[in-house]
Amino acid sequence: MPNLSSRIPQGTLRFIGRRLLRALVSLILFQVILFSLIQALPQDLVELEIAVGSQFEAGMEEFQAPEPEEPLRKQFASWMRGFYGGDLGESKELKEPIGDILASRLPRSLLLLLPGTVAGFLFGIWLGKRVAWQKRSWLEFAATLGGTAFYTTFPPWLAFVMFQVIGLSLGWFPVGKTIDPVKWFREDITINEVILKIFLTIGVAGLVYLLFTWLTRNQVRLRSRLQTIGGVGIIILAILPWIPSAYGPLAIDLLHHLVIPLMTLILLTFGETMLIMRATMVEAMEADYVPTARAKGLRDSQVRDRHVARVAILPVLARFILHLPIVIIGSFILERIFSWEGMGKILFDAVKVNDLPILMAVLSVLGVTILLSHILLDLLNLWLDPRQRVSEVAEVVIPGER
Amino acid sequence: MQEGMIDPRYRYELGWRGFFLMHLHRFLQRLRRWGGQSRLILQSPIGIIGLVIIIFFILLGLAHPLLMSTVWDRATYDPFIGFDATIESHPSMPSRTHLLGTDYQGRDVLSQLAFATRTSFAVGIAAALIGSIVATFVGIAAAYYEGMVDTVLMTIADAFLLLPPPVVLLTVGLIIELNGLQVGLIYGIFAGLGSLAIMVKSQTLAIKTKQYIEAGRIAGGKTWRIIRVHILPNLLPLLVVNMMFIVTGSVMIEALMSYASMGLTRFSWGYMILLVQDTFREGKLSLQWHVLIPPAIAIMLFCGAFYLVGHALDELVNPRLRQK
Repeated sequence: MPNLSSRIPQGTLRFIGRRLLRALVSLILFQVILFSLIQALPQDLVELEIAVGSQFEAGMEEFQAPEPEEPLRKQFASWMRGFYGGDLGESKELKEPIGDILASRLPRSLLLLLPGTVAGFLFGIWLGKRVAWQKRSWLEFAATLGGTAFYTTFPPWLAFVMFQVIGLSLGWFPVGKTIDPVKWFREDITINEVILKIFLTIGVAGLVYLLFTWLTRNQVRLRSRLQTIGGVGIIILAILPWIPSAYGPLAIDLLHHLVIPLMTLILLTFGETMLIMRATMVEAMEADYVPTARAKGLRDSQVRDRHVARVAILPVLARFILHLPIVIIGSFILERIFSWEGMGKILFDAVKVNDLPILMAVLSVLGVTILLSHILLDLLNLWLDPRQRVSEVAEVVIPGER
Repeated sequence: MQEGMIDPRYRYELGWRGFFLMHLHRFLQRLRRWGGQSRLILQSPIGIIGLVIIIFFILLGLAHPLLMSTVWDRATYDPFIGFDATIESHPSMPSRTHLLGTDYQGRDVLSQLAFATRTSFAVGIAAALIGSIVATFVGIAAAYYEGMVDTVLMTIADAFLLLPPPVVLLTVGLIIELNGLQVGLIYGIFAGLGSLAIMVKSQTLAIKTKQYIEAGRIAGGKTWRIIRVHILPNLLPLLVVNMMFIVTGSVMIEALMSYASMGLTRFSWGYMILLVQDTFREGKLSLQWHVLIPPAIAIMLFCGAFYLVGHALDELVNPRLRQK
């Protein structure tokens, strides 16, 4: 059995270590910048006035000056200690620990955000692949214009149109609520439990499907048919346990309310992915291995999907991860319009009442998310693109040269 | 004739006249070369569409003050307090006197639309200029003086990458009230210190390995001259493309900001949509679509136009795509 360390290319570990160190330094610097940015904002004066006023009414002899604030340095130190200890502080307005507030709202945001971004990305990839492969100039022209139009649509406006037309005028799907309270009234189940079970089901089903494809990888002839049958079977198996339980109808109700926000998010995110996918596909189609693959006698769709799209997808993924914060903010705004009570609602409510601790916590959580996605992108590049390894590792020994 | 050379006609002219003629000549020469290069964009139909839309918005923005002082009556067409008493009920549908109709308070929609164009231009141009200037300074400094300077600047850029301008503006910008120029300024600083600086740095590193830089240094060129003459012109395509994308992003974020906040003094398309939607909820449903659609279309066209121009330029200056 080969030694593990010999299978990892020389210098990779050093690269990962250096990347993590850089990430830590930039995270701390980010928190310094964020803290000073938040501190520079005008603090709420109304609260101070009320406090002083009530003391004034209580009588002059009991008057106490408001407590002098700690110096900023100490405030920052205590906040950092709390942050790395898992304690995000207490909300000024709600008087609750911020960690609890975020944890109670995070699942709902993820229920909108994760399927929305994944579906938008896959739809954009699918469309861009086909548009580039057709090689018709009018189609590319139309796709560029259409993609740009969807990418630059004003999100609240699109949401509002969906709300009014599909939600209220046509009445196909319910809008403006997360759930139908009548259906949930009898049951002693919270929304977060249902969301957790949905995610768990999808995760387990996905893992089982991956295992199934791995097991059938050697069946060259039957592979595609087997995978289709297996996929359908796994979906049926995943749905079955929901039917007798009390969770089933509630999950359907939740997903029914999710349709319009999800559709809006997909419409807003697919445009840019499609544009970049088209551009990179056009570039990748020039490569030498494309005629080779054709000469091997592969089908057109196989050349497109297995040979060209696989290469073209990397830069699209990179760009998508870099644009993730914008997508997240867009989904927060959609939450606000559709009254989907998630992180976005917390954030905008906090902004409205000047609740700075919550603002600080949400922004740093967002920053950490972005940082993790960047690290993930770097590792993915390291794994998939050998050129990166060459440029990062100090000495490259090419066999036969020395 | 090459850059930096002085036309022999003016070389021996002394005094202010010679100075003036020499610089005029240089300026015209540079302008001519720019004109030649920027004509490239006319090769792609998408770029032409974008340019036409941008010119349309420039004309719309310029037309508003002219129309207000000549054709339009100030009491009727003012974007804030105008009211047309000759129409029975507001909101009214498009008519000959009001090309896009009036809103629920009797204000002319076309006048509001044209007036809000300035905010968008102010935001977009300020953000693009500030962003590219900041990114150029940081990126070139990091790439040119390697070592400690590079490490420090890139660590800062990494930290600012975690604070993308949309996130900052949509939270901090809603607490303190900003005007259009300030929004553009903040967007520019956060965009320029973050991703754009990293892009400029890697492009500068690629340029630095070229042999003409070495030749310029051997010939005794000072740092500043090498940067100005050799590096900056090669960075320009990248910067111009990204300026277009910054305009798209910043105008969109500005519209979102004015949509999300209450009681602003900054007037923009997003604020128009907010005003209409508030009255939608009060029940005047069927009459308001003509007020809601124009600002949304305007945002889409404005952002889309700059995006299309950026896209077209990107395909032109990206040599791998150009060869096709």
